[in-house]
Amino acid sequence: MRTKLEDCLQAVNQVLLGKEAQVRLALTCLLARGHLLIEDLPGMGKTTLSHALARVMGLSFQRIQFTSDLLPGDILGTSVFDKDTGQFVFHPGPIFAELVLADEINRATPKSQSALLEAMEEGQVTIEGATRPLPEPFFVIATQNPVSQGGTFALPESQLDRFLMRLSLGYPAKAAEKALLLGESRREILPRLDAVLDHAELAAIQQEVTRVRASDALVDYVLRLVEATRSQPQFAWGLSPRASLALLAAARAWAFLAGRDYVIPEDVQAVLPSVVGHRLRERADPTGHGGGALVQWLLTEVAAV
Amino acid sequence: MSRTPEAIPRISLTWLLVAQVLVILPHLIHLPLWIVFLWLGCAGWRIQVFLMRARYPNAWIKLGLLLGTGFGVFFSRGSLIGLEAGSVLLIAAFILKLLEMRSRRDALVLIFLGFFAVVTAYLFDDSIVSALYSLLPVTALLAALIGLQQTRFAERPWPTLRLAGGMLLQALPLMLLLFVFFPRLGPLWTLPQPGDQAVTGLSDSMAPGDIAELSQSGALAFRASFDGEPPPRQQLYWRALTLEHFDGRRWSQSPAAHLPIAPRWERKGTPLQYSIVMEPSQRPWLFSLDIGETSLDRARMMNDFRLEYYRPVDRSLLYRVVSWPQAVREPQLAGGQLRRALQLPETGNPRTREWAEALKRQYPQPDELAQALLAHFNREPYVYTLKPPLAGADGIDEFLFDTRRGFCAHYAGAMTFALRVAGIPARVVAGYQGGEYNPSGRYLSVHQFDAHAWVEYWQPGKGWVSADPTFQVAPERIEQGLEQAVAEEQSFLASSPFSPLRYRNIGWINQLRLTWDRVNYGWQRWVLGYQGEQQLEVLQRWFGRIDNGVLAVVLVGGGGLMLSLLALLLFKPWRCEHDPQQRLFLRFERLLARHGLRRRTGEGPRAFAERASLALPAQAEAIRGFVQVYEAQRYGGQKASPATLRQALARVRQGLPWRLTRAD
Repeated sequence: MRTKLEDCLQAVNQVLLGKEAQVRLALTCLLARGHLLIEDLPGMGKTTLSHALARVMGLSFQRIQFTSDLLPGDILGTSVFDKDTGQFVFHPGPIFAELVLADEINRATPKSQSALLEAMEEGQVTIEGATRPLPEPFFVIATQNPVSQGGTFALPESQLDRFLMRLSLGYPAKAAEKALLLGESRREILPRLDAVLDHAELAAIQQEVTRVRASDALVDYVLRLVEATRSQPQFAWGLSPRASLALLAAARAWAFLAGRDYVIPEDVQAVLPSVVGHRLRERADPTGHGGGALVQWLLTEVAAV
Repeated sequence: MSRTPEAIPRISLTWLLVAQVLVILPHLIHLPLWIVFLWLGCAGWRIQVFLMRARYPNAWIKLGLLLGTGFGVFFSRGSLIGLEAGSVLLIAAFILKLLEMRSRRDALVLIFLGFFAVVTAYLFDDSIVSALYSLLPVTALLAALIGLQQTRFAERPWPTLRLAGGMLLQALPLMLLLFVFFPRLGPLWTLPQPGDQAVTGLSDSMAPGDIAELSQSGALAFRASFDGEPPPRQQLYWRALTLEHFDGRRWSQSPAAHLPIAPRWERKGTPLQYSIVMEPSQRPWLFSLDIGETSLDRARMMNDFRLEYYRPVDRSLLYRVVSWPQAVREPQLAGGQLRRALQLPETGNPRTREWAEALKRQYPQPDELAQALLAHFNREPYVYTLKPPLAGADGIDEFLFDTRRGFCAHYAGAMTFALRVAGIPARVVAGYQGGEYNPSGRYLSVHQFDAHAWVEYWQPGKGWVSADPTFQVAPERIEQGLEQAVAEEQSFLASSPFSPLRYRNIGWINQLRLTWDRVNYGWQRWVLGYQGEQQLEVLQRWFGRIDNGVLAVVLVGGGGLMLSLLALLLFKPWRCEHDPQQRLFLRFERLLARHGLRRRTGEGPRAFAERASLALPAQAEAIRGFVQVYEAQRYGGQKASPATLRQALARVRQGLPWRLTRAD
């Protein structure tokens, strides 16, 4: 099973060059049944990453481009009157895919954003009184552009909290970019990617991940981290219990990917920046972007053992 | 793990140099002058080294400096041993060490040497001024010590000094506690005292010029405070010793005075109780009013009623005395003593001999004869002066019949001589008379210019009786003091124009002088004198009956309690790791810390092991192995087994060289 996961990583890395760490985190997020927020400039490979992941995991893929006139119905789907049957027939929206890429989520109005986010949280949507389950597995990758802020609706903290991780891809290394320029177009490679896992296997792995052992000592470390964010003066507010659950879940998935059936402090530290970075604000700058410095502080100052 | 010694921070060096100046300053009174130049040279060199403009001296230069300094000390002090040469050597070492101060450890050595040099300054001067002054070098040394712990980049020296001062203040209560309770142990060995401090005072022989010389000195001899009102001034005859042997010119102590024979005497009348704080005299005699008994350990009464300490008094000494002024002193006298009290040279002073024998025929009773002699001094035109004419071969003859000018030594000597010629046992008593009363401190200060000589003569049955011919000539000397007695000739402290004692008639100066004198007295009495019996007495007053045994038990117990509290506070056993796994991991951490690898707070065991493996590639496998076992037990849910962990730790330790302390 683990070799298959390694194969998945390898396949995605072939498409998205030089971003092993981010790819591994993205996979971790998927295995921990969390949703992923990618924050980066356009053209950095966000879509490629999501698409490639969907291909190798054998997931159906839908992409929603968020714009300011996007309506909740455009995401969830609408009922349309069928002349033949004389009844309203539900046309499922793009959300009914297993991997949904919500591109530039901050361009849409809060109303549309929350339609997506509710679906993410509940795993089901309620349209016109009927509750419809979303497919299983269900994985959302949302992207947002941190630079051009004109005409955007920044996600509030409560919404950010629903993403397990926030990643940033960043510029590729020189060698990776050279390979990219010399090689085939990504668009041509993508369709050739074969599914490595099927649904049953993915579900089994996700099940397995929850059984990765988190010992007392490890949970104590997580508690120390959370406690530090709640008691230290430089934090505008502390981490929520949802955040501590997310941290532990992500650490479990990371440990599983590393081939261990127990979590060690280093696993927690590996996922910490992407899991808590978007949930923390500095007291000096409560409306700021996030707690990169705070995470560094947590990593160096909270006793790991 | 860097092998180069850590450089000394700028602040520490600054304070170290300041501290050196402060430490050396009080020593300057007894140091040869070249030490100053040695310091300037070494300090300059060290500063150049700090500025990277010079190198440390090489071994040959250091050897040369060492030998040069050694020879310098030998030539300026005539020896390499003894207190004075030793202290010069100590200071020289304290200075030279600057030139090989490369690492923090060297700086530590220098700082501790500095503390020691501060203490040695007390051997030369233990007055309140020097004690207060020594706080300065101690603060500077503390600042240097603190500076050593700071980074090399700290710029401002004042916060360091403030911290040092604060720490000194915090130490104050502990200091007081130790001062009050810490037992003063007797010296295990004694240092030879500084010899160049010529002490003015009474000597064991008296030629007519000696006391005149002494009366030029305003130095303090001792202070006395009475329980209750002090007796009137004319009764304050402080006995030091008796001079029984006369060689025609000079009166001196007879060798028999050192024989350990206690005199016989009877207590009579009401006793006077007082305590005396004596200045160092380099002589063993203690001062007391007639007849004094002291409770001082290792002091006893000799056969001429003087009190003698077991060794020369070379530092301030506090003792209590009970005196019986009306006591009957030796109603019977043994043959040897009688002979000594009648000793006269074979020849000399024929006129006096003739005159005394004539008087004896006129007054057969000793008392009558003595009264006649005193009346003679009173009646005839004798002059009390500190500038008598020089005496010839028959000094007493010339004084009695020609010049008739002299002071107490002349009168006492002449009267004793005359009494002896007349067959009456007599001797000269040397000591002090009077003293200056300090009304605010209620004590008497007796100065060297209060030195005095008077006469004691003996009659069968009545014992020794004191008589003072000076009183007959110059009663104001006895009733008001020397200053009044010699007011006309203005010879009082003529050779020391700046002595504040000369300006006693100027009100505020006198007030200032008396206040300062009182502070000094308090210092000597309550700080320097607080030891042995006095300490026990104070403790008894506070805690009731207490003897040395109880005190020792209490002190040892209290000390133990304090140490254990301190140990609790420092080692915090309640925070000690009870989990054997964690304990072993801590041991693992300590082991690696000794090799310069310290786990950072936020560093996980595995990351730490990886870092350590890179630093110690030979032990990489053992280190990783230990951490794997640890992780498996702590996080992997494997059954805890300290034994396997211990084995893994032992494997790590095997490969590492043994080190006691952390490599910093």
